[in-house]
Amino acid sequence: MSARAVRPKLPFLGVAGRHNRVPSPYPWLMPVILVMGLFYLYPVIDVFRYAFTDLTLLGGEGHYTLSTFANVLTRPELLQILWVTFVFTAGSVIGQQVIGLAMALVVVRSEKRHLFGTTILRTTALIAWVVPGIAGGIIWKMLFNEAPFGGLNSLLRLMGMAPVQWLSDPDVVMWSVVLSNVWRGTAFSMVVMYAALKAIDPSLYEAAEVDGASARQKLFFVTLPQLRPAILVNMILITIQTLNTFDAIISLTGGGPGRATEVLSLYTFNVVFRNYDLAAGSVLSILMLVISLTLALIYAGFLPKDDKA
Amino acid sequence: MKLSTRDRFGDFLSYVFMALMFVFFSWPLIWLLSMALRTRKEVFLGVARLIPKYPTLDNFTAVLTSSQFPVYLINALKLSCFSAVGCLIIAAPASYAFSRFDFKGKGAWMLGILAFQMISPLVIMVPLYRYMARLGLIDSHFGTTMVYIALGVPMVTWLLKGFMDGIPKSLDEAALIDGCNRFSVFVRIILPLSTPGVASAFIITVIAGWSQFLVPFLLITKDSLVPIGVGIFQYAGTQNDSSIQILAAACLISVVPAIIAFLALQRLILSAMTAGAVKG
Repeated sequence: MSARAVRPKLPFLGVAGRHNRVPSPYPWLMPVILVMGLFYLYPVIDVFRYAFTDLTLLGGEGHYTLSTFANVLTRPELLQILWVTFVFTAGSVIGQQVIGLAMALVVVRSEKRHLFGTTILRTTALIAWVVPGIAGGIIWKMLFNEAPFGGLNSLLRLMGMAPVQWLSDPDVVMWSVVLSNVWRGTAFSMVVMYAALKAIDPSLYEAAEVDGASARQKLFFVTLPQLRPAILVNMILITIQTLNTFDAIISLTGGGPGRATEVLSLYTFNVVFRNYDLAAGSVLSILMLVISLTLALIYAGFLPKDDKA
Repeated sequence: MKLSTRDRFGDFLSYVFMALMFVFFSWPLIWLLSMALRTRKEVFLGVARLIPKYPTLDNFTAVLTSSQFPVYLINALKLSCFSAVGCLIIAAPASYAFSRFDFKGKGAWMLGILAFQMISPLVIMVPLYRYMARLGLIDSHFGTTMVYIALGVPMVTWLLKGFMDGIPKSLDEAALIDGCNRFSVFVRIILPLSTPGVASAFIITVIAGWSQFLVPFLLITKDSLVPIGVGIFQYAGTQNDSSIQILAAACLISVVPAIIAFLALQRLILSAMTAGAVKG
């Protein structure tokens, strides 16, 4: 480390001793550059080209036009799609963050008090996190089954409560979808919050103790302020994850009833696979890209500074 | 003894909360298992038969002896394992360079790679399909694997870089003085020391590959090449309430490999997951 730091930069000397030469990173990066370039970057660039055509899957090369852009962005359903996306994302992110934080706080406290069950709880939540999106949707569809034998309705009946139309009532269905997404996603927030809690300097608590702070005061004046950066970063990450979620929705509701749960990602999928409208799909893709990259840029601002040049 | 009462009350609340959360997270999986073990008749008895009176493994047999499901499972295994190996081969040298070399634009390169992580494959599906069709890589496990690799490389690069940062640089320098070149330092010293990082990256990529839906849905049209994610989606679309127990068994079979892979390396994966988010 120190040897490299003091070495003067004399590139014209070329080899300043075989072992001390600054190695070029590019041969090492080449495989990544090639694979990412060929199978990811090139298609990303191509999306922009397609967005300016009127291409469909039904054939032909299409013509270059600006009308697709105007057409897609003025579609009457787009506003509703964006609203549905917003509600789904906000509901999922807030749910995952709040429950994840609560679980992390309780697990940390319980570990300190040597209570039983913290590992079981953590592992169970993480198992839900590992369940693939499509399978998650299928599992929740069984739970939400509105027949008397459905996984939740039969439970409600057992407790003497009225059954709920989880998936067919347009006013309820969004919350059902959010619930299933919170089930699958919360473990991530819990783990991040847990690690962040463990990273808080214990001397802060000792100082608060000396000052006679109550448990509640410690939470609000020590723990939460210390967690702020981790919470922000976590919320950005889960927002991006949620925006890109569509497999769990497609196998749960398929976007219905009507368009009640058709989020932007699912809408894009449907425009391409149901309507075969490649150009419109590309415009929507760009919309998603812009949203994700904006969030990614905000995220980048929170990364440790020493990783930046 | 006021404090102790309060502590005990806190313990009580903690237990209540943990129990509630445990029920929330486990209930869907318990329900899935219960459905998968039922006969057709018992399915209609709902929660009253949470533990079936006449449990049966017939549903699992039906799934595993069907003509498609074993094929879906093998396809998924092939795609996810090959792509995980490919990811490691491609990402590891870059991680080494990011961990050990100082060069201009290093931060920009790393952020650029990370940015891809944020781009959903949905964004590229249209051009990807046409592009792969032109290359003749539709209905090809090779083509699909390459896209899986491109999807996994950013995360694996970052993860391995973080792991290699924890290996002292003095080891590299000692080996360089002993006459190793950079490449043999990387292969003989750093890679073997990175085994835990490599293992967790491998498992995370396998799980991600196992869960893939969009990419194979897009690039594979032949039923005999389809992995489980797409297979079970299409199967679910053809089912109704009268065969829900078979669907449950199929779903369980598709989920269990990912869960086992995860449990095997839980601790490593957890530390890898949090590395990026907490340092900030």
